[in-house]
Amino acid sequence: MLQVRNLTRRFGDKTAVDSVTFDIPSGQMTGFVGANGAGKTTTMRMIMGVLSTTSGEILLDGAPLDAEARSSFGYMPEERGLYPKQPILDQLVYLGQLHRMSSTDARKGATELLERFGLGGRTKDKLESLSLGNQQRVQIAASLLHEPSVLILDEPFSGLDPVAVDSMVELLRERTSAGVPVLFSSHQLDLVDRLCDNMVVLQQGKVIASGTGDDLRAKAVNRHRLTISPDAGWVRDEPGVRVLDVAGPTAILQFDDDDARQRLLATALTRGSVEEFAPIRPSLSEIYREVTAA
Amino acid sequence: MSTVSRPTPAWAIVTLREVMVKARDRSYLISTLVTLVLIVGVVVFNAYMSSKAEEYTVAVTGADAVSVVETAHETGQADGGNTSFEAVEASSREAAEELVRSGEADAALLVAYDGWTLTGNEELANGLQQGIAEALRAEVLEINAANAGTTPEALLEGSEFKTALLNGDAENQFVAQFTGFVFGFLFYMAAIVFGMAIATSVLEEKQNRVVEILATAIPIRQLLYGKVAGNTILAMIQLALYAGAALLALTFTGTADSVSTIIPASGWFLVFFLVGFLILASLWAMIGSMASRTEDLNNSSGPVLTVIIVALFAGLFAKGQLLVAASFVPVISTVAMPVRMLSGEIPLWETFLSLALALAAAYALLRFGEKIYRRAVMQGGGALTLRKAMKLEQ
Repeated sequence: MLQVRNLTRRFGDKTAVDSVTFDIPSGQMTGFVGANGAGKTTTMRMIMGVLSTTSGEILLDGAPLDAEARSSFGYMPEERGLYPKQPILDQLVYLGQLHRMSSTDARKGATELLERFGLGGRTKDKLESLSLGNQQRVQIAASLLHEPSVLILDEPFSGLDPVAVDSMVELLRERTSAGVPVLFSSHQLDLVDRLCDNMVVLQQGKVIASGTGDDLRAKAVNRHRLTISPDAGWVRDEPGVRVLDVAGPTAILQFDDDDARQRLLATALTRGSVEEFAPIRPSLSEIYREVTAA
Repeated sequence: MSTVSRPTPAWAIVTLREVMVKARDRSYLISTLVTLVLIVGVVVFNAYMSSKAEEYTVAVTGADAVSVVETAHETGQADGGNTSFEAVEASSREAAEELVRSGEADAALLVAYDGWTLTGNEELANGLQQGIAEALRAEVLEINAANAGTTPEALLEGSEFKTALLNGDAENQFVAQFTGFVFGFLFYMAAIVFGMAIATSVLEEKQNRVVEILATAIPIRQLLYGKVAGNTILAMIQLALYAGAALLALTFTGTADSVSTIIPASGWFLVFFLVGFLILASLWAMIGSMASRTEDLNNSSGPVLTVIIVALFAGLFAKGQLLVAASFVPVISTVAMPVRMLSGEIPLWETFLSLALALAAAYALLRFGEKIYRRAVMQGGGALTLRKAMKLEQ
């Protein structure tokens, strides 16, 4: 498990990352979301040691993270970076070797990865001759090649078509089932919702929400939908109930406490025929919108 | 995972890549090949020109002139010489001149009451003029000596002299100057070509942000060492290639006499070249890391280019105390010290002192360059000045 503790980075007077604390559990995918400029990239660069920290610490399995441990991480920087004028296989092999692979292993691994991304026939092509989407695939291959112990990916899905997203997801799932902690940032909330076991929401350099989907849902404001015939208009006068919306037989309600909910249900049963009374399960994107709007 | 052991240290992997990328670069290979062909060509051309047979036909009108031309021919053929003279007798002065005008003779050698005249059509070749002049002087000297009751040998006795220099020996002076020029020029070329290669390779990684990935894989210092080592190896290989080609061509064309003088000095030059290049390599890496676009390199490389040019000119033109001083200044000593060693005996401790100073400078600059490089190469945005780069946090 990778733990980020009170991580802070100042640029002059500006605090880009302000005492950020969260966990990236092993074998799980953690989504890192937040508006542009929220501090996601700065945090990831500090985790990778590319940017020094103003204060705070990062722990890997309980011990402070050092350069030696980082060298086995897989990293995909926000600004993509590879050699434009080099054949793609050659540069992957080079990066693999720098990550302590033998050149034979690196060549074998890189060829396999490129084949999985449908680039098996283009291994000798220069990076710049590939489309942007394909360059992105090579970049992903570069971060996965050395079978990293931790994956830190800054916007790995941007610019990928749905097929590439699927093969990327498949690769990431393989890594997480091998116990690797994965942190990735994204603006595509539906993807985060679909993939992530955890989510960390950053706003103006601060963590405003974090946890598993269920944690976040439990913390999210508890809402219920009531459908009762012939009409739900009477709910407006009930104590301890806030009515968010009423339309004919259906009302969206929020309760001050459990008592209020039980009271309302009892009243409802006397008022008509209750067809539905259930909690509303918000999607992560709804939670995200809610916490960032607050 | 295949991370059991690293077969080679990180800097060596970087070095190998630098060399391999260059070795596969077509324009680099072509320019190296063209230079090689040029070097061999110049040597072969010189040898051909100096051994080429020269034949001159001289129109004459009398026996005296025939005798002069014959003497010129004998002298031209002596000591393995390849210059031949042939006399063509003409009936009159005008006929002789006509032969020259029509191109049947290269010149007419005519005698009148006021002395001898050598007449050419549009030009008189140097070899022709010299050969005839010497022969004429020898002939006339012999006649005059006989008239005076003596011999030319007696007349010239005691007039010969040897040359000597208080510092250095005369014979080496020319070789020293020529070799110094070659050394200086090779250093100048390599320092710029491979220096620029270091700067652009550093900048390429900075511009494309590959450096962020590299920095997470290996200590950034190793990356710098690898680049410096790689390009130094490339520069040395190219230098050895050029020098080897030149020496080989010299040997095959039989001009090998001077080779035995040049080889020991070349050995020292290689040592000084290596250290001098290491110093510049750190500077070039700094320049590359502070730039943000290729255009920036043109501006920021000015100071280093100045140092390189000073090194070249000091080696070529400095004399006396100035040359002695130059031979102890790192980088400039790369050319100046071997030139001093070529042109005369100098104590070995001076050579080693100069080398030690250069090594110390190389080490200091590598450490300083490392600091700047580590800070500047991660920095986005515009080009940095040295002052700004020093202030950067990592």
